[in-house]
Amino acid sequence: MRPAMTPGSLTVALLGNPNVGKSTLFTALAGIPTRVGNYPGVTVEEKIGRFTHHGQAIDLVDLPGTYSLVPQSPDERVAVDVLRGAFAGVPRPDCILVVADATNLARNLFLATQALEVGLPVVVALSLADVADRRGLRIDVPELSRRLGCPVVRFAAPTGEGVGRIRDLVLTASSGQPPRPLDLERSPAPDGRPPAAIDAIARYVAIERLLEGVTGAVRVETTAEDRIDALLTHPVWGTLIFAGVMLGMFAAIFWLAPPLMDLISSFMDGLSALVARMLPEGAVRSLVVDGILAGVSSTAVFVPQIALLFLFVALLEGCGYLARAAFLMDRLLVGVGLSGKSFIPLLSSFACAIPGIMAARTIESRRDRLLTILVAPLMSCSARLPVYLLLCGAFVPDRAAGVPWLPLKAAVLAGLYALGVVVAAAVAWVLSRTLFRGPQQPFVMELPGWRWPRAGVVFERSREAAWSFLGNAGTLIVALSIVLWALGHYPKPAVLPAGGGEVADVRGEALRQSFLGRAGRLVEPLVKPLGWDWRIGCAALASFPAREVVLATLGVIYNLGDVDTESADGATALERRLKSARWDGTDRPVFTLPVALSIMVFFALCAQCASTLVVIGRETGSWIWPAVTFAYMTALAWLGAFVVFQAGTWLGW
Amino acid sequence: MTASLDDVMVGSTVRVQDVSGGDAVAIRLLEMGVTPGVEVRLVGKAPFGDPLELELRGYRLSIRRQEAARVAIGDR
Repeated sequence: MRPAMTPGSLTVALLGNPNVGKSTLFTALAGIPTRVGNYPGVTVEEKIGRFTHHGQAIDLVDLPGTYSLVPQSPDERVAVDVLRGAFAGVPRPDCILVVADATNLARNLFLATQALEVGLPVVVALSLADVADRRGLRIDVPELSRRLGCPVVRFAAPTGEGVGRIRDLVLTASSGQPPRPLDLERSPAPDGRPPAAIDAIARYVAIERLLEGVTGAVRVETTAEDRIDALLTHPVWGTLIFAGVMLGMFAAIFWLAPPLMDLISSFMDGLSALVARMLPEGAVRSLVVDGILAGVSSTAVFVPQIALLFLFVALLEGCGYLARAAFLMDRLLVGVGLSGKSFIPLLSSFACAIPGIMAARTIESRRDRLLTILVAPLMSCSARLPVYLLLCGAFVPDRAAGVPWLPLKAAVLAGLYALGVVVAAAVAWVLSRTLFRGPQQPFVMELPGWRWPRAGVVFERSREAAWSFLGNAGTLIVALSIVLWALGHYPKPAVLPAGGGEVADVRGEALRQSFLGRAGRLVEPLVKPLGWDWRIGCAALASFPAREVVLATLGVIYNLGDVDTESADGATALERRLKSARWDGTDRPVFTLPVALSIMVFFALCAQCASTLVVIGRETGSWIWPAVTFAYMTALAWLGAFVVFQAGTWLGW
Repeated sequence: MTASLDDVMVGSTVRVQDVSGGDAVAIRLLEMGVTPGVEVRLVGKAPFGDPLELELRGYRLSIRRQEAARVAIGDR
């Protein structure tokens, strides 16, 4: 059920180009959105907020960023349909609030003047007014307002300038008349140009005339910003800096996260110990400590990395570097059949493939979009990070890799991320020359101005990522920990080893006879060539619905065989347990460097996420593509793990 | 034979004469402000010479050589 809009409330649509501070204005006006979801029938994000002004409730509908009201992508289609009132549950807006970048007025007025023709009252907010001032761009706002025939307000996020006036104007405009459209002198088309092309040419002529005397001359001198831009988009230096930024990001995560993780880990250790003392020995204590708390602990401990990763991504996006990265990477991506626009969806997939796949909607070309979606799950998402961190931390030797400042652990981690990228490139290359043969698709992308990222926006992105990981993934992990705990404990073994034996033997036998143990032993012949014992097979098997559960599973599996039940939980305890794991009936450790690498490579390449497959099905409108994704990734994962284990063993790692 | 935007030297400023064709690429280029008469400066090129970074109407736009080839240019 979609909650209805407030009765008697006004609806205001927020329209603007991408990267003009639309979200910032949304937050300034309405705060946290009251409704976030998808428009019915299409998979474009719907964001609605509410505020009350002079006793009048106003619903603010955030439209997807668009350059034109002649739509080319699904996102742009949605913006047009909402303005026409074509969506059930979203009433036709009473007013359009257009956000126009004051530093890029001509291009932004293109959309603003199209909005004048919709037939609804319009208010224009000139965002980044403070940046325009600093650059010496003078705008005669009253004159601009007179010529456009609608109210125009300056908006500056740092000072909050304009927010109050925007509220006033939106309220009064909503009950007023729609403005008169701009006069366009559309020349007849002798060469058979489509109306949209004739309209665009005529519109820019009209905008140039409209801006005469309203704005000063466009700057021509070289500014510090130009010099930074020249360096960062330089073919050689720009690429080196890009590689440095990416490597630095991963190194920083390795340096900054451990103290925070230790804090969370020791807190959870204490909590587990406390609970273990309070509850009597038995099934309930085992469920709470080994099932629930172990699951919570293995989730919470990775929040610092996820928050940090998103902090960096939000910083890069906020300062305008992400578009430059797409610019730098385009030639490389074209080489494998993708485009620079695939870069942002693919980079987002490093956090989670689901938003990444959804971000692929910004790619107009269906072919490029499908290719991007198919390889996006190969990017190492944040749910893989815990596996990498645990196994790198425990089994990769503690020394430098070539250069003193780069630990081998960090190099292996970077290598795993690189593996996903390289395999994705290979898969895209093959697909673009087989299934997706066709002409090269167009690439027209704005490079937004350099600006300081807004701290509020950056921290909000980071908080939201950590929160959704805890909320969505975390709930799933804890629930599955409990299920796995049950699968690992039941059915109880009918026959125990003769003579009782050691406690560990009894527990080992119990696990062997449980549901999980039986499934693990069933797949043992399949995972033996990867260097895995049946317990790792169990953990991998249990991770197919969601790979997040693997640590919890390993915790439960190796905890059951562990004599020391008083030992506290958390990543470090899990590390100790994995290090002491032995092949059944021998002293040979299960986890060696080749085995750890084989597990990590398997997780790097495998499609262990039901949600991702569901989203692929939804986005592509076909169940063939998730099936293809699942099949090719699982096959590659097994092959990759096999090669790494065999090569590693042969090389004597 | 008129010159097109893909064979301009980095740093030079040219005036757009026309964008050929009436497909989605042509419409998007026009909508982004690459219209007849506008001045465009080639700011730089990405590694391997593609795509191009342009400055026009006070902002930066990136397009591939392939699209730039469809933009006919004249002297300033």
